[in-house]
Amino acid sequence: MVTPDLAVEVGTVRLKNPVLTASGTFGYGLEFQPFLDLNALGGLVTKGLSPRPRKGNPPERIVETPAGMLNAIGLQNVGVDAFVREKLPKLRAFDTAIVANVFGETEAEYLEVCEKLDAAPGVAAIELNLSCPNTECGGMIFGNDAASLGAITRACRRATKLPLWVKLSPNVTDIRETARAAEAEGADAVTLVNTFVGMAVDVERRRPVLANVSGGLSGPAIRPLAVWMTWQVRRAVAIPIVGMGGIMTARDALEFLIAGATAVQTGTVNFVTPGSAVTVARDLASWLAAHGVASVREIVGTLDAGRAS
Amino acid sequence: MMSDFATKVVRNVDLGRGSFLIEFEDPGLGAAMRPAQFFMIGAPGGDVLLRRPFSVCGLPGTFDDATPGTLQVLYRVYGRATSLLASLGPGASLQVLGPLGRGFEAPPAGSDVLLVAGGIGSAPFPAFLRELARERRPASMIYGARTAAELPLLDWFKEHASRVAVTTEDGSAGTKGRVTLPLAEALAAPRPRPLHLYACGPNPMLKAVARLAVDAGVKCDLSLEAPMACGFGVCLGCVVPVKDGATGESRFERVCVEGPVLPASRMAW
Repeated sequence: MVTPDLAVEVGTVRLKNPVLTASGTFGYGLEFQPFLDLNALGGLVTKGLSPRPRKGNPPERIVETPAGMLNAIGLQNVGVDAFVREKLPKLRAFDTAIVANVFGETEAEYLEVCEKLDAAPGVAAIELNLSCPNTECGGMIFGNDAASLGAITRACRRATKLPLWVKLSPNVTDIRETARAAEAEGADAVTLVNTFVGMAVDVERRRPVLANVSGGLSGPAIRPLAVWMTWQVRRAVAIPIVGMGGIMTARDALEFLIAGATAVQTGTVNFVTPGSAVTVARDLASWLAAHGVASVREIVGTLDAGRAS
Repeated sequence: MMSDFATKVVRNVDLGRGSFLIEFEDPGLGAAMRPAQFFMIGAPGGDVLLRRPFSVCGLPGTFDDATPGTLQVLYRVYGRATSLLASLGPGASLQVLGPLGRGFEAPPAGSDVLLVAGGIGSAPFPAFLRELARERRPASMIYGARTAAELPLLDWFKEHASRVAVTTEDGSAGTKGRVTLPLAEALAAPRPRPLHLYACGPNPMLKAVARLAVDAGVKCDLSLEAPMACGFGVCLGCVVPVKDGATGESRFERVCVEGPVLPASRMAW
């Protein structure tokens, strides 16, 4: 049996396989070295980076829900300077795509982080977090409507020559509108979806479980929603899609690829089984081989929706 | 060295009243593990997504009647994850990540040792008591819970601690009241030698214990519990506020990596 070709191109970013790890679920990558070979990843997306370190929200920050979890971490991170100084030099040593996730409270903060990353060797792409639901100004205000998302994408486009991926919020009426705005303003790809806003109630205390009141829902519970949005966006824009939402296995990843994603990100599963991103890539190769598919690229966007298409 | 390993249940002993002591095959980690370090444990095939954190309760040599080559974890059935765990019999598969976190350190030479446990928070103390016994360091214990049903391994502790003061909120065992009652007495008594406290239990109890210890100028290490998704420092779900040693400002540290054992004097609750 021929070994299938797993390489994909997300715009100009070449990935050795289509499996990346999602922002906020993979630390700065180095923490996972006991569990997997970082060289075996298509890429990794860093924890969201802000101009200065952030303390994050008070606890409780997480709670498990049916087939998922709510989190309200509040974008705790070391700040872009510490990332460039302490993490990036170590990450550069690995043969995998380093995607830096960026967020700010103002447009100026987004630009500041983009410019600093632009000057730092070793970053393969920037992913703009315009969709974090857990901070007052952590991106959602920019990501909730097409006009403001377009404006910040345009500004960041000018601030960096790096490939620009725009991470979309699912907490919108029509995700195709924000996807189109990102494409129109120069995004090289869209990544979707971020978490869904949700809440859990402690019934005995009649209080929200999370100190932040609401949190972002992730995990298998959101997978059908995310696959549907991937399929919607595939028919709305021409730029590549990086899909995510509750991917636990290679079969889950294939749902997104078939629905039109060029690559995928694994998220919550990295907490559950820290070596799983590599397992997903390996099992994807096995599936392709078993189905006589020479390249994963032959699978992307091949959904047969019957009369609906 | 931390690893993610598949193992098998050897025994899952029902201690009664909702408490269980589960034994699983040790792939060789026990010898290097510290009391109060923990594992993230999951049972494949259930409808529980995240693993749950459990202190190691028994290391090699802790329980005389343990199956050789196993480790023991004490748990109380509380929700879906622990119900699933309680349903497992010998030979069932477990997925275990660990050892995780920083455990108890040995008490300073020449100090007296007092352990304070609240309910299932007694879990890290058997391994610690046996270690102290091997070093010929006697330790007394205060063991409290809401009710007598929530004092697992009480007889074992009575056998292995030099003294156990029991409290229950409903008076069904020991003195009626909370652990802070005998603790305040112990802290008020004259101390010929420095006292070192180790406490584990629910957060409200730990806060009260920490306050008493800090006020009395007594060193106290807390083994904290927090909801956590990963257990190895990346989800940032399990943070607690602590005072920065240099600046005194409050910041968040991860129970899973900087803890679970943190000094009471550093807490910024």
